[in-house]
Amino acid sequence: MSLTQPSPGGSTLVAAFDAARTELEADALRGAAGRASLERFSDRIDAMLRQLFADAGGNERSVDVIALGGYGRRHLCLQSDIDLLVLFERAIDADDERFLRAFLHPLWDIGVVIGHQVRELDDFKRLETNNAEFLLALLDARPVAGIRSLFDRFRTRFHTASTHAYILKSLLELIDRRHAAFNATLYQLEPDVKEAPGALRDLTATRTIGMLTDPLLLRRGPADPARVDQAEDFLLRVRSTLHLGAGRNQNVLSHEMQERTADLLGYPGAEPRQRVERLMSDYFRHARVVTRSLDWARKSAPVPVGPNLGLSRDGIRFLDPVVAARNPATWLGAFQAAIDHGTDVSDEALSCIQQHVDRYRADDFFPDAADRQTLLRLLTPRAGLYARLSEMHDCGLLGRVFPEFQAISWRVVRDFYHKYTVDEHTLLTIRNLERIAETTAPERLRFRNVLAAVAEPQLLVLALLLHDVGKWRDDDHAVESVRMAIDVVDRLQLRGDARETVLFLIRHHLQMSLVAFRRDTEDPDVVKTFAAFIGTEERLKMLALMTLVDVEAVSPETLTPWKEELIWRLYVDTYNHLTQRYGDELIERNQAGLDELLKQRPDDLSTVEITRFLEGLPQRYLQLFSRDAIYRHVRLARDIHPDEVHLSLERSDSAIWTVAVTTLDKPVLFSNICGVLSSFGMNIIRGHALTNPNGLVLDVFQFTDDERFLELNAEGHQQLLHVLEDVVSGRSDVTSLLRGREQGVLHAKGAQRFAPVVRADNEASGRYTILDIVANNALGLLYRISRVISRQGCDVDLVLIATEGEKAIDVFHITKGGSKLTEAEQQALTSDLLRTLEGSL
Amino acid sequence: MKLIKCIIRPNKVDEVKDALAKLNIAGMTVTEVRGHGKQKGHTAIYRGKEYNVSLLPKMEVEVVVPDNMADDVVKAVVQAARTGEIGDGRVFVLPVLESYRIRTGEKES
Repeated sequence: MSLTQPSPGGSTLVAAFDAARTELEADALRGAAGRASLERFSDRIDAMLRQLFADAGGNERSVDVIALGGYGRRHLCLQSDIDLLVLFERAIDADDERFLRAFLHPLWDIGVVIGHQVRELDDFKRLETNNAEFLLALLDARPVAGIRSLFDRFRTRFHTASTHAYILKSLLELIDRRHAAFNATLYQLEPDVKEAPGALRDLTATRTIGMLTDPLLLRRGPADPARVDQAEDFLLRVRSTLHLGAGRNQNVLSHEMQERTADLLGYPGAEPRQRVERLMSDYFRHARVVTRSLDWARKSAPVPVGPNLGLSRDGIRFLDPVVAARNPATWLGAFQAAIDHGTDVSDEALSCIQQHVDRYRADDFFPDAADRQTLLRLLTPRAGLYARLSEMHDCGLLGRVFPEFQAISWRVVRDFYHKYTVDEHTLLTIRNLERIAETTAPERLRFRNVLAAVAEPQLLVLALLLHDVGKWRDDDHAVESVRMAIDVVDRLQLRGDARETVLFLIRHHLQMSLVAFRRDTEDPDVVKTFAAFIGTEERLKMLALMTLVDVEAVSPETLTPWKEELIWRLYVDTYNHLTQRYGDELIERNQAGLDELLKQRPDDLSTVEITRFLEGLPQRYLQLFSRDAIYRHVRLARDIHPDEVHLSLERSDSAIWTVAVTTLDKPVLFSNICGVLSSFGMNIIRGHALTNPNGLVLDVFQFTDDERFLELNAEGHQQLLHVLEDVVSGRSDVTSLLRGREQGVLHAKGAQRFAPVVRADNEASGRYTILDIVANNALGLLYRISRVISRQGCDVDLVLIATEGEKAIDVFHITKGGSKLTEAEQQALTSDLLRTLEGSL
Repeated sequence: MKLIKCIIRPNKVDEVKDALAKLNIAGMTVTEVRGHGKQKGHTAIYRGKEYNVSLLPKMEVEVVVPDNMADDVVKAVVQAARTGEIGDGRVFVLPVLESYRIRTGEKES
């Protein structure tokens, strides 16, 4: 049967619509057009639209008709607009437009007021922040006609934690604005039963707040939910009489309408005044229930802060504990949210976890890569971490996530020093680290700066968490801790180098205190041996911090300023050794680690090829790069001829890119690479330039692509490599490339500026003049520095690039004519550099 | 009685303790101290910036011994704590007038 054409049965769209309205009008005349009648009316409109949809050919295409707002809630009143969303799966074409006309025009023709929105599914990838009312109406979305799966996809896209948070914020603003228009009182003599405080919009808002934050919220409210339902039915019945009387969408219960409504609703009383008084007294009673519910919901509703998580007055809560109990992978999110918002996890959520935690195994808490990242991110040292880990420990979660940690729960080890159980000692080390991260105490700032420079401090926290787990046994606990930690790093699927770092820190967590407190650290050989043992500055930083917080967690008296000073000195001496002397320590044939590297080599690489590549590189090279990276470098250097450049560019993780360049000795190579990267807006954060006596140069740079050039340009990868190749091989000039960026070059990124430090030293290394530079990080900084070095006739042999926030820390190993610089040459170079760097201030 | 006060390198405490034990001296006080003598600290450089380290961490070991043992104790300490480099420390010998045991209040001879 068609609605748009008269059928033999005689039914038409007009007739169907009229029949529905007549039925509702009859109910309104009896004062009975409340919730049930409006639902019936909505259902009839649904049926009408479904038929119209079919007639227009909707069933042959990927489109949905979705009811919104009051119609979505099945509360369509006599004169209400019918709010619809017409949702297309794909981009709308001419055929779709024909469908739209065929669907909408008949409705317009019979005078139905349609409020329609047309969208494509992809429109819901982004949040429409300019139309809060539309977003609110979408919360009531209900499928009327079309494909159910399309509606489900829309729901999944639309209902996200961030969208909910945005809508909630907008809703609260809208409520305030609306109430202000009514002087924020419900006691209106002629109330608007839709808009006034305590009227229908407030009632819907109350439920919406509950829906967005905590489905069980209203059950705990001051009013019995049944009374809220009664208020709603009353307000709808009144509204129906208003629409009936006015013949339009009019919602003000004026004095005149009050008499008529009181009559229709059957209020007793001899005089109209008495009937009106009874009506209005009922109105205020119901409006007060609504107002109190809304006030309570606004006060008590948790703010959504993540999937099924809300921030309430008692901390982070699970919005739906039943759902939470079934999803252990979301629990860590509660602790992360608590840290993010500087609050606790609520007792209710902790009880929920405690009640269900024994049902799950370690893997259940981080089943996929994103969950593993969540766990690692949680371990970032900052205010609140110790408190949250303690909560996790108390409710049994920490011991489930890390069964290894459970082994030292309440473990007592009797010695002369420790004052706490092993688990608490462990957690205190993390508290001490978190305090270093936040400290403003002048004597502690040096360690805070070291912590700020650690690239992945969460690995340090992981190592601290596991460093003493081996104490469940009584023998050499560091070895046992490593054995147990291997299971953890396996479960977390840490990257190879991250895994090695964590295990190294655990295995050797006592080594630095041993050397600092028990060895003669003024003996250069002691420092040299310790530096060789540590290998890289990154490990040194982590081990120094680990030592400090571990000693401090033994008892309140254990870490004295005296011990702190010894740790600091050993750190500085070792740091200087690592960054300044490595050029003197070259890879030898019987080098530690070399055998393993050769043994594990892939089939395409020969022993000779690897040995030849490594010959004459600093020993440090073997510690800086993983085996796989070294094999890649060997391949990159394969068959290289003069005037050739071999390049590789890869993404190290989501934010960091690594470019490796090999070539045979080229003057200003380093400067050129820095220049090209800067010309593309790349921010160099770490890097190494290495040379061997055969003239082979290997430069490896890590950079961030802050302007997203590589991400946004499909050809960007190739383009960058191309330009690098052209510049390094001398086919184009980097200066011209940089011209467009002159304004940006050496423009620090707005953070705190400080005077640059430049220092040349001939003592530290046997072969090189060491140039230490600390300056504000800026685009093109390295390019400028290396140009000055070249301008002064010096060769850059080795470079170490590091950044700490806005600070660039670079160590250049340089020579002039194959020798160290004379005093006068050093003077000329440092002055030139200072002039350049100060020019940027 | 003599009070022998030794300022030594931190890493030499164990060796000095062992040397004193060989002389049957069990009681001693060990304190973490900072100071400088002729060594007067040194200049350390961290990231291109110089900073002067004037007070160096040292350990102080104090023992009280009968007059006739003082020389042996001094010799033992010097031998145990020596590296031959600047910064090995000092030994001071001071007279002790009286000594009391707190537990009993008894005066020791």
